Amino acid sequence: MIDPLIHAALLMTTPILLAAIGGLVNRVGGIVNIGLESMMLTGALVAVIVSADTGSVMLALFAALVAGGIVGLLMSRVVTRLAANEIIVGLGFSVAVAGLVRFLLKSVYGVSGTFNPPGVVMLPRIDIPVIADVPILGAILSGQDPLTWFAWAMVPVTAFVLARTRLGLRLRAAGSAETTARALGLDPLAIRDASTVFAGAMSGLAGAHLSIGVVGLFNEGITGGRGFIALAAFYFGRNRPWRTALGALLFGFFEALQIRLQGRGVPAELVQMLPYLIVILVLTGLGLANRRRSGSSS
Amino acid sequence: MIRAALANLAAAALPFVLALAIGAIVLAVTGHDPISVYALMASEAFGGTRRIAATLTATTPLLLTGLATAIAFRAGVFNVGIEGCFYLGGLAAATLGFWLVGWPAIAIIPVALLAGALIGGAWMVAPATLKVRLGVDEVVTTLMLNFIAINLTSWLVNGPLLARGSANSATPAIEKAAELPRLLPPSTLHLGFIISLALVILYGFWDRFTVTGFRSRLVGLNARFCRAVGIDVPSLLFRMMILSGLIGGLAGAIHALGLVHRFVAGFSPGYGFTGIAVALLGRNSALGMILAALVFGALASSGATIQLFSDVPIEIVEVLQGTVMIFAVAKLGLLLRDRRGLA
Repeated sequence: MIDPLIHAALLMTTPILLAAIGGLVNRVGGIVNIGLESMMLTGALVAVIVSADTGSVMLALFAALVAGGIVGLLMSRVVTRLAANEIIVGLGFSVAVAGLVRFLLKSVYGVSGTFNPPGVVMLPRIDIPVIADVPILGAILSGQDPLTWFAWAMVPVTAFVLARTRLGLRLRAAGSAETTARALGLDPLAIRDASTVFAGAMSGLAGAHLSIGVVGLFNEGITGGRGFIALAAFYFGRNRPWRTALGALLFGFFEALQIRLQGRGVPAELVQMLPYLIVILVLTGLGLANRRRSGSSS
Repeated sequence: MIRAALANLAAAALPFVLALAIGAIVLAVTGHDPISVYALMASEAFGGTRRIAATLTATTPLLLTGLATAIAFRAGVFNVGIEGCFYLGGLAAATLGFWLVGWPAIAIIPVALLAGALIGGAWMVAPATLKVRLGVDEVVTTLMLNFIAINLTSWLVNGPLLARGSANSATPAIEKAAELPRLLPPSTLHLGFIISLALVILYGFWDRFTVTGFRSRLVGLNARFCRAVGIDVPSLLFRMMILSGLIGGLAGAIHALGLVHRFVAGFSPGYGFTGIAVALLGRNSALGMILAALVFGALASSGATIQLFSDVPIEIVEVLQGTVMIFAVAKLGLLLRDRRGLA
């Protein structure tokens, strides 16, 4: 009873977590990425196409990663080189890419909405003998796909890189102390671009997880606002990798729960509201705490 | 003087021209002839009274979502939550429209429109309070509130407000008396267009000739200066955000009473977001926004029909809308400077 729910929650968490880590790094580097959804959508489509064409999961993942990264680079260049507002550009990319994807589906593949080419190879599941039979632990560790393992491995890696390495320090400098970074001979705009490319690549993988990890086809609504849930996750996590992962897990759990509760009198729409509501509450709590702190010091 | 005005117009039109160029590349790559597609779109948008009426109908919601966005943006508030206000305003107006059975048009229409506006304004109280009291970033809160509003309204029309015997997520149709009068039957152009246009023009005067209009623009330009000269910046920002929500809600209410005549799930195909593009492209000026709304209205109305007459998918319109948004905020002059720097 509880095992399938745990398993489903982890499966739902993976795409949110991948994109949220990307968005977190991007935000530390100085850009709030509202366009994660568009990069996810690109990755989802590219993964299905390449998987069906080549029969190779590795190639499909690589293509999704590159495609997401390219969308990220385009978005970033507009923001950093043309001094455009990142929020509007992010929304613009969300609108334009969603339109472009549907346009190409109709125009090139002659399908509307769902694209289900023959021969899509799905992500494998890694079953771990012995542990698979242990209740709860088996549901957590066994039968997950490689991207889920990768996503969770990226949490400590990101935490370490941000806190303990030169790369992390430079990224933080580019985000919060642009002039200092420049004075030190760094190129903050290039660092920022790199962080957006990373966010795009991670979101591309997130999209690939949805299309060739979960369902095995592409649908125009496949991302279903998960790019924005990822945004909610790293706002929830306040730029800390582990807290962001907790947020992603929480939102993944809500999603799994909502699917289970369907037809049992709990309206799906109300459960779907929760991630967004929680973020507003978290931001309110932070605001209150900040005010109290500044109030006591003055 | 005239040359300056022309240069201004050219600068304002540049994002649109670039978006058309990118759209042309997309069309050409996928085997369509961009020039004939654009020519077809132009004639579908403006060729004849009926087509113009359809374009003006499509322009109506964008006038108000653009106006709502501009009121916040010019004061320096990044309110991206008009989409949510639009949904809630639409639902409130549609609900009153079928509840108030037997009311005459002269009473039911103003009441329903007012309710839509009020709920839109009320929806912005939380993010406005959070911004001015606690310094919480309004971009995130208003963006999140959109998804909450969309889910909330979709829950209401699937459950409590679902039309009896209806399988799809929609309220019952509103009373005949609650429908906004049609201006040019058989076209769907309705009184809402006149109301919206009047409000945008009114905004133009408010922007130029009133103290509040001037002050709120000044706050957007230089909040520190305003604080220094004694303007109550937080209260002004709060009021502008509520006003923006009121108009966003009114936009939804007009859309419900004028065109859809009920509320359905998926009520807005992104009018709130297109409104952002309208405000940006129109540079928050009344005339600019009317032109920009007209451009997007023309895109929407021609997009719906080019699909019938050619094999060009309607989604090309979304590609154009998104690209216009992107270029509207890009400082394109920097491109030229970069090139000179390299040479």
